[in-house]
Amino acid sequence: MIRTPLSTTSVLDEAAEVVSLTASPWAALLMATALPYRFLQALFIDQLIEVHDSASSYGNLLGATANVIVITIVIALAGRAIYARACRLAAARGTAPGREAWRIRPAALACYILTASVTMLVGYVSLFTIVGYPIAVIFAGLAVGTVEMNERVSVTRPFAHIFRHAKTVAIPVALTMVFFCALFVALANLAAAASLATWLASAIGGFDAPNWQVLFSPGNRRYVLLLFAGALMIVEPFWIAANVIYVRKAGAEESGDDLRAWFDELRSDELRSDELRSDELRSDELRAGEELKEVPA
Amino acid sequence: MKCTKMLCQECATQWDGIWHCASCLGTARGATVERSPVFAWIGVVGLSLLFLYLGARVMVWTGAMIAGLF
Repeated sequence: MIRTPLSTTSVLDEAAEVVSLTASPWAALLMATALPYRFLQALFIDQLIEVHDSASSYGNLLGATANVIVITIVIALAGRAIYARACRLAAARGTAPGREAWRIRPAALACYILTASVTMLVGYVSLFTIVGYPIAVIFAGLAVGTVEMNERVSVTRPFAHIFRHAKTVAIPVALTMVFFCALFVALANLAAAASLATWLASAIGGFDAPNWQVLFSPGNRRYVLLLFAGALMIVEPFWIAANVIYVRKAGAEESGDDLRAWFDELRSDELRSDELRSDELRSDELRAGEELKEVPA
Repeated sequence: MKCTKMLCQECATQWDGIWHCASCLGTARGATVERSPVFAWIGVVGLSLLFLYLGARVMVWTGAMIAGLF
């Protein structure tokens, strides 16, 4: 499926194709594993808003939520690693991957948990700097893109893979900006879908539907937080697929595989046009034969 | 070729500039497979647990700081 040179648009184009191939059941699996993490993240932010400036007095409550979040992060990371493998298989074969997507190497998963935990830590530390957090997001994307490269367990090698792909930083930066915008598009769509569902449900009656209008409104903080969590979950499969495709295409460009794929594609196009030409000739001959038969002797 | 078998060029494969038959190549590839060292596993798992623990602490610390700002 390597068709075009490495660029942001080609990566996004191929990522969309890969997501359509892996939507069922792999994107669903990714969302199911990310659900507890995103839900608890929303709960954590809700607690922070609730306690406001006396947050330092609620260390035990916030700490307990943070500990549970960390457990759910590990589940979400496993889901991401499986989905990244599914994307890689779909990109290589051009068909929807089967059960083999489950067979992720334990070494790859362990290395990914290490790199992701480091990027998470860096992300939280640099949250105040504004610039630091997007950089951590870029590295998190490259970490998921290079998951499959970790054939052996190593403390340093997974980071070397990430830094090797971070050298051409323009495309990962562009992808992060695109997905940041996509997040708001997903948020608007999700809010519209939720409003439509509430409106339709209000027509059924028999239960407390009028209250839903109040609960599912922008005035409800928890609803807004859950919408953000939902938008993140919608964008996540595309973000992972884009990073997998980027790493794959960058690697192909380094090894010359992209040229080989291009030549193969040209050759297959040529063969296809030859076949079409011979089919046309054959049909012309048949038609001419039939016309001759029709002419009376 | 290590096994000194006579093979045509199509049946032999070049690896590191030396021609090998399929069985010799299989042996050579098998010999280079490294097992994951135990220390690397301990290091990766230990560091992951440490960073996850620190991540939880920093999450609370950063969250409390930001909540205090608004």
